[in-house]
Amino acid sequence: MADFQVLGTNQVRVDALDKVTGRATYAADVHLPGMLMCKLLTSTHSHARIVSIDTSDAEALPGVRGVVTGKDYPDARFGSGALKDRRIMAVDEVFYIGEPVAAVAADDEVTALEALDLIKVEYQDLEKVIDPLLAISGESALIHPDLEDFEGYGFALGGNNCTMLDADRGDVEQGFKDSDLIVEETYHTQPINQGFLEPMACVADLEANGRLSILASTQGPYQVRSQLASVLNMPLSNIKVTAMEMGGGFGAKLRLALEAFPALLAIKTGRPVKLVNTREETFTLNGPRLETNIYLKTGVTKDGRILAREARSIFDVGAYLGAGPNSGVGHGLGAYDIPNFKLRSYGVYTNKIYVGSYRASGVADMTFATESHTDVIAHKLGLDPVEFRMMNALKEGDTSVSGATLPRNGLKETMNALKERMGLPKKLPSNAKEGRGVGIALGEWRSGSGPSTASISVNEDGTVSLLTGSVDISGSDTSLAQIAAESLGLRLDQVIVAKRNTDLAPFTGPSGGSRIVYSQGRAVQNAAEDTKAKLLDLAADRLGVPADALACAGGSVYVLDNPPQSLDLGQLARMSLSSRGGPIIGNASLSSLPYAPVFNAQGVEVIVDKETGQVRVTRFVQAQDVGKAINPMGVEGQLEGGAVQGIGRALSEEILIDRETGRVRNPSLATYLMPLSVDMPEIESILVEIPSADGPFGARAVAESPGFGPPAAIANAIYDAVGVRIRTLPLSAERVLAAIQGRGDEYNVDADALRAAEAP
Amino acid sequence: MKKPLQITVNGQLQQALVEPYFSLLDALRDEMQMTGTKKGCDEGDCGACTVLLNGKPVTSCLVLAHSAHDSEVTTIEGLAKGQELHPVQRAFVEHGGLQCGYCTPGLIMSAVGFLESDEEPTAENIKHALGGNLCRCTGYSKVIEAVLAAVEPTKAAGRETKTGLGSPKAE
Repeated sequence: MADFQVLGTNQVRVDALDKVTGRATYAADVHLPGMLMCKLLTSTHSHARIVSIDTSDAEALPGVRGVVTGKDYPDARFGSGALKDRRIMAVDEVFYIGEPVAAVAADDEVTALEALDLIKVEYQDLEKVIDPLLAISGESALIHPDLEDFEGYGFALGGNNCTMLDADRGDVEQGFKDSDLIVEETYHTQPINQGFLEPMACVADLEANGRLSILASTQGPYQVRSQLASVLNMPLSNIKVTAMEMGGGFGAKLRLALEAFPALLAIKTGRPVKLVNTREETFTLNGPRLETNIYLKTGVTKDGRILAREARSIFDVGAYLGAGPNSGVGHGLGAYDIPNFKLRSYGVYTNKIYVGSYRASGVADMTFATESHTDVIAHKLGLDPVEFRMMNALKEGDTSVSGATLPRNGLKETMNALKERMGLPKKLPSNAKEGRGVGIALGEWRSGSGPSTASISVNEDGTVSLLTGSVDISGSDTSLAQIAAESLGLRLDQVIVAKRNTDLAPFTGPSGGSRIVYSQGRAVQNAAEDTKAKLLDLAADRLGVPADALACAGGSVYVLDNPPQSLDLGQLARMSLSSRGGPIIGNASLSSLPYAPVFNAQGVEVIVDKETGQVRVTRFVQAQDVGKAINPMGVEGQLEGGAVQGIGRALSEEILIDRETGRVRNPSLATYLMPLSVDMPEIESILVEIPSADGPFGARAVAESPGFGPPAAIANAIYDAVGVRIRTLPLSAERVLAAIQGRGDEYNVDADALRAAEAP
Repeated sequence: MKKPLQITVNGQLQQALVEPYFSLLDALRDEMQMTGTKKGCDEGDCGACTVLLNGKPVTSCLVLAHSAHDSEVTTIEGLAKGQELHPVQRAFVEHGGLQCGYCTPGLIMSAVGFLESDEEPTAENIKHALGGNLCRCTGYSKVIEAVLAAVEPTKAAGRETKTGLGSPKAE
């Protein structure tokens, strides 16, 4: 392949100047004339019947312009996937503390807050279920007794189990019989928040023609449009969604969030309405993650070959199914070729905040379990953890859990790069006060796919305008512009990335699942190729040579054998205005791309204080197969940021849930402990580049994978350092200390309770 | 009831009628339409709203607007001189010290406040100076790298232009 001009080199983000000068406009920055401020009244009860709601005093308060309750919305349920189990606002029943019950629009925020105090809601408590293992046991109250009547209800046990997945291959019982060693364990992961810095925000405005304009902080403008159309019972074409600059989403902003509240109030009042969530509401309204309980049983031969795996995972989804338990099956094997398996995962309702997506939902939970488990087995067999992993690692031609054949990939290369950089295997010296240890973990993901579109038009000055429907996520606009520039032989500053809305840009899937550079990037590359073909055709016509005698580079189309004979892109664009084909526009559209796996190998060194249980990560190394690093600086940024989120998940982050009521006890950034600059080691990232077959220029997905490994790698390092195995996240000082002092069991999950959740 | 407030923001005198309970952050964003300063928590925990108040970094959500009466405030909008970025802004751009950009104004203001103080700009001190600014995207490595890269250019810019940024108000 030719030398790259724009691709593969560090490029300044196309949005960097706006962001360092304060000019970038986020939804909360929008101010429209006559705009009202919206506030939400939320449930104070875990599970209750709403006997009555009296909004008359609130409506009478001067400055209040509108109040809506659940009864003002069409009688419709919606969902994040197939299952439609959720109302946008409680109607006659609330299912968790924090569920929206009413919304107010007033001249200013303070008046809106005053009005909330004047709304009288009478509740009658119903039996609640907080513990997911009790909820799935069949011995608790039912949260949604009419579950089986909900549209989209499919494969599940019923009761409080709203969805389940399974995957089987081979003969798992025979596999266990043939094994020399069987290891059975349970793992538990904690409720966690995406932690984006920009609270969700939205401005809704009714245009003169009756169309609803939504300015939102979202990863999925087309998903917001369709879900909003269904909850408002409004034609989709009457809604325009503009994705504003997004201050972090990590999955929480993939779907309809708070937009329906200001939207209905804008319709009702005829004025623009803004709603900005408080930080507290980002813990209760945005779909964070709840606990996961994971049971693993693995059979292995003496010499280290894994023969059989049984995995059962129970995902607490809270009051509604905001994100499914797919990873429980999809990631039940880890990155290993296991011939016999039986995998089950369950989503179970409880009276708690509903879960949403977070950076490959559930995969980090599963990876904590499977990669800790892998280490446990290696130690029992007396094998080196790296070697044991390599013996069982997936190879090209193997069949993945989903049945896809594994294409060429960089698993081996990432493990080797990690091993070499860290000098593994190695043992660090410990002393009486401090234990030092090394741990590794291997994460696996796939490059995200789904509908992707792109359109490129050539401007009269030889620049191009790139239009896609995708929201910039983690620098993806810059990467897309690089792909367009590289394909057309332009400089990066000759590609204009259009700001877009759902009226303007063609449909595209949401910015999530690490799909933008891989899939959307491929669409951009295809659109650039289409543009180039049209440029060459026009130039061939004007220069009197065949198109295949031409090349497009350096801003011109030129004759390969005689480069001075050329037309620059500006000339061609101007000529095109009166040409037979008309102005030059290249388009591309695709629905999905083939499976392209992504592997990320991580290693940490830790110091464990034996007196306090405090764990400090002193070194962090990761190697990821990125296929082709479009913008290496951006790729490193993704890997570093993802790793630090994983370290937070491993060591400190936890949404504390009240066991009696399901209430979130720590809805603030002072008490929900995300990593700070002072906590973090330098992250060493190694970019392995084994090109994918279908990604643009061989690129693979980047952003999800670095968050998977840290909890297991750190748990494995703690074991190496002080000989204790922690199976519950976070790996907090009190848990580590309890384990050192032999009190570790008090934090472990009852394996029998997990085993009780059997498939019918 | 709204009361008159006067503050010099980025060298320009601003006068507005502001509610007595308004924070400096709300006064800047809602009354003066300067939305570059971000609200991430409104509780002083995230640092996204950091501005320089008389040269010192503060979380503007925890400062009552009227307590800043007659003060000098520098916000993210006031750092660049026309098209010319402040060295810290430039370093964030060149070193990839930003992603979603929401924490960026606060991080940059904390960094500017630190670099214009008398503290020694070591990597460790920079980490501590930014210890009140949460960033969820970058993992901090490139942020620290950017601030380190801005140390010398910031000193040089301070000598040449005498911006006065960061120098406590002479009173």
